[in-house]
Amino acid sequence: MKILLALIKKEIKQILRDPSSIVIAFILPLISFLIYMYGVNLDSVKVTIGIKNDDNSPEVATLVKSFGHSKYVNSINFDNMEDIKTAIVRSKIKGAVVIPNDFSTKLSRGQGVNKGADLLIITDGSEVNTANYVQSYANMIANQWLITSKYKMHLPRPLINTEVRTWYNPDLNSHYFIVPGSIAITMTLIGILLTSLVIAREWERGTMEALLSTKVRVIHIVLGKYIPYFILGMVSMAFNVFLCVCIFQIPFKGSYLLLFLISGIFLFTSLGIGLLISTVLKNQFMASMVAMSLGFMPALMLSGLMFPINSMPVFFQYLTAIIPPRYYISFIESEFMAGGVNEIRLANAFYLTVLGLILFVAVYKKTQMRLEK
Amino acid sequence: MYTVTIKNLTKKFGSTVAIDNLSLNIEKGKITGLIGADGAGKTTLLRTIVGLLLPNEGEINVLGFNPATEKDKLLEGYTKDGKIHLPLGYMPQKFGLYEDLTVIENLRLYADLKGVTHDFDKMLEFTTLAPFQDRLAGALSGGMKQKLGLACTLLGNPEFLLLDEPSVGVDPISRRDLIKMVREMITPETTVLWSTAYLDEAHNFDTAVVIDKGKVIYEGKPHDLAPTPQEFENKVIDLMGGYNKEESLIAQNYDYHAPDVELTVEADNLEKRYGNFYAVKNNTFKIKKGEIFGLLGPNGAGKSTSFKMMCGLARPTSGTARIMEIDIKKNPERARSNLGYMAQKFSLYGSLTVKENLDFFALAYGISILKKDKKVNEVIEVFGLKEYENTKAEELPLGLKQRLSMAAALIHNPPVLFLDEPTSGVDVLTRRDFWNHITSLAKKGVTILVTTHFMDEAEYCDRISLFYKGETIAVGTPTELKQQAGANDMETAFINLIKESEK
Repeated sequence: MKILLALIKKEIKQILRDPSSIVIAFILPLISFLIYMYGVNLDSVKVTIGIKNDDNSPEVATLVKSFGHSKYVNSINFDNMEDIKTAIVRSKIKGAVVIPNDFSTKLSRGQGVNKGADLLIITDGSEVNTANYVQSYANMIANQWLITSKYKMHLPRPLINTEVRTWYNPDLNSHYFIVPGSIAITMTLIGILLTSLVIAREWERGTMEALLSTKVRVIHIVLGKYIPYFILGMVSMAFNVFLCVCIFQIPFKGSYLLLFLISGIFLFTSLGIGLLISTVLKNQFMASMVAMSLGFMPALMLSGLMFPINSMPVFFQYLTAIIPPRYYISFIESEFMAGGVNEIRLANAFYLTVLGLILFVAVYKKTQMRLEK
Repeated sequence: MYTVTIKNLTKKFGSTVAIDNLSLNIEKGKITGLIGADGAGKTTLLRTIVGLLLPNEGEINVLGFNPATEKDKLLEGYTKDGKIHLPLGYMPQKFGLYEDLTVIENLRLYADLKGVTHDFDKMLEFTTLAPFQDRLAGALSGGMKQKLGLACTLLGNPEFLLLDEPSVGVDPISRRDLIKMVREMITPETTVLWSTAYLDEAHNFDTAVVIDKGKVIYEGKPHDLAPTPQEFENKVIDLMGGYNKEESLIAQNYDYHAPDVELTVEADNLEKRYGNFYAVKNNTFKIKKGEIFGLLGPNGAGKSTSFKMMCGLARPTSGTARIMEIDIKKNPERARSNLGYMAQKFSLYGSLTVKENLDFFALAYGISILKKDKKVNEVIEVFGLKEYENTKAEELPLGLKQRLSMAAALIHNPPVLFLDEPTSGVDVLTRRDFWNHITSLAKKGVTILVTTHFMDEAEYCDRISLFYKGETIAVGTPTELKQQAGANDMETAFINLIKESEK
């Protein structure tokens, strides 16, 4: 017990004296929060489009106006196609709507074969996402205008009235799930990147050889690494939650107790990955590379934070099963936005515990008490 | 009474045999010196005795235990006379200190890990580390690190001390302190196994064990072999197969064009200041073509700083240096192209093989591709690196790393060579060989500036500058310095001159 305490004390001193661990635990979450809050935005954004109106009727002028008043687009009027082309090339506008001169005439004729008016929507296919926005916004604005215009009599009565109600995140604000998700990224960094270095460092600096010629046993070495980094991770977690809820005003609907409990289990799992890498490789540079590619990248790409898991190819969907952040992100998003969903809590906590225990045993088995196997 | 008995021990790494059917008994209560060339198996033997490596064949008995199966018992303390004692204390080559912990924190940590209590104040005072107890271990000088490493090893008054080259790269004063420390701390019952490259050191021990290629080639009292350290060194060299002084191939093949410059290296009031601290002060000397000029001084005296300023790696606060009459401050690149520099720290690429490193340095120093292969092969041959040609540099034993560094430094045949502790950690045979090359090169006209901690090596220098606390305290030929200090050998001269300057 005294040996373990001595090792933990030593490790904590090393953490406090190593600026890089403080940066990863406290500065990095702050920066990533700022980026996710003000830099990344997965919500619909306002796009600028050009409008060329060849129809002089006063009714069509109100269509041009409704483009101008829309909260989804900014519009700029153009007189000829050449200017539109230049504006698109210069990226001043992301697309254009062209109203032909027979637009109102055709509209007044109403529905039927070869009837109905044409509206040209030009989009910039080199930016696919924006092109989709332009297309759907232009469509939406034109249709909304239509049902308020005098041509609405030509429209059939709709059979279905749809009404949308968004649960858990009524404003569809992507910050509400990305910012809590970034907590998972920070915890992964502490758990995997930071700890992937620590056992390797002892081998590289020759301190392991000295440790092995004392009363230290495997369990001391293993716990002597798990516990200090667990403490660091949980302190950083508390700091993250504070930033998230108090500073960035992200609504939190769940239970703080369970949030910390299950975050603790996740951290235990991440530490396992980091320490396993470190124990096996015994080389700081290699360990950090492996930690980045095996730990951090999947946490970002395959955890469901950035890309929904069920839209991934089937193989990758199965692969996510062994990626701990996947369970944690699912939990933390639901804990923040939906509040207590016991099934989600239990299922994720269970998988994380199983993975964590497997990793702990692996770290224990791989830790050597000699300079060779 | 034997502390260790080893019978027919064999240890292999892959197909390499490190310990070859070795049998050895180590007497209780004696200091045994373990001597051997680099790669002879010294470290492997120590590690196997501690139980950090497992033997392939043979039996080892340490204090009644088998380290291969009962390592834990060797490290478990027991109580005797109300004090906790440890059977074994082992100091690895890198000392195993935590550089980001302070002196006292390192001591406390190891005391806890060994499960012993200790009077730290007494230990700190004894090791003269007390004023530095709150300094990070990483910020200590080489000599102080060694003392701290030894202090950590001595915790718990182990019955059996194993020290793996504790005095590598340490100045004579610190080395004397270190031996004194060990002798004072141990009891008549304590057994010490001390591996070393310094034969003068080993000559003072009770027993000397010389190993070569994993086999014991001599075991007995050093004084039985030879009465003086100098003769002892010669005898040990003979045992190792003898050193045949041959004409230096490297000097023969050295493509040297005599420059019409007489003073090839000049230091002109060199000064390096950090805040109020002078690392180097008023350093002035002139070295003639073909001269071997030695810089001697304790660790931390400012030798390496001077070196770095002389070759343009550190900017002098004031003053300058000239190499082949080219000002290092004004024309660093041109001045450096006349220079071969061997840094104190191993500064080659660890993940490249010996050959790849030399290939790289050959090209980096501007040797044409057409001549490169010939040059590299020649250097490999001359430096005896043939069998390690395809070994990664980081896997080489310390002495071979030094050899490789030197090979890389002079592959482009510069007219001036700067060698910063070239023989630190190198075995006696290789050192002889090194100096044969160095003196032969000087005869050809190459100017050599060298630092060393081996006082016998100082005798090879034409002139010596003794450096202490950033200042030159004496300059002259070895004979002149010995006369000035009223000493018979360089080591005493060194210590006397430093004591005198302290007054």
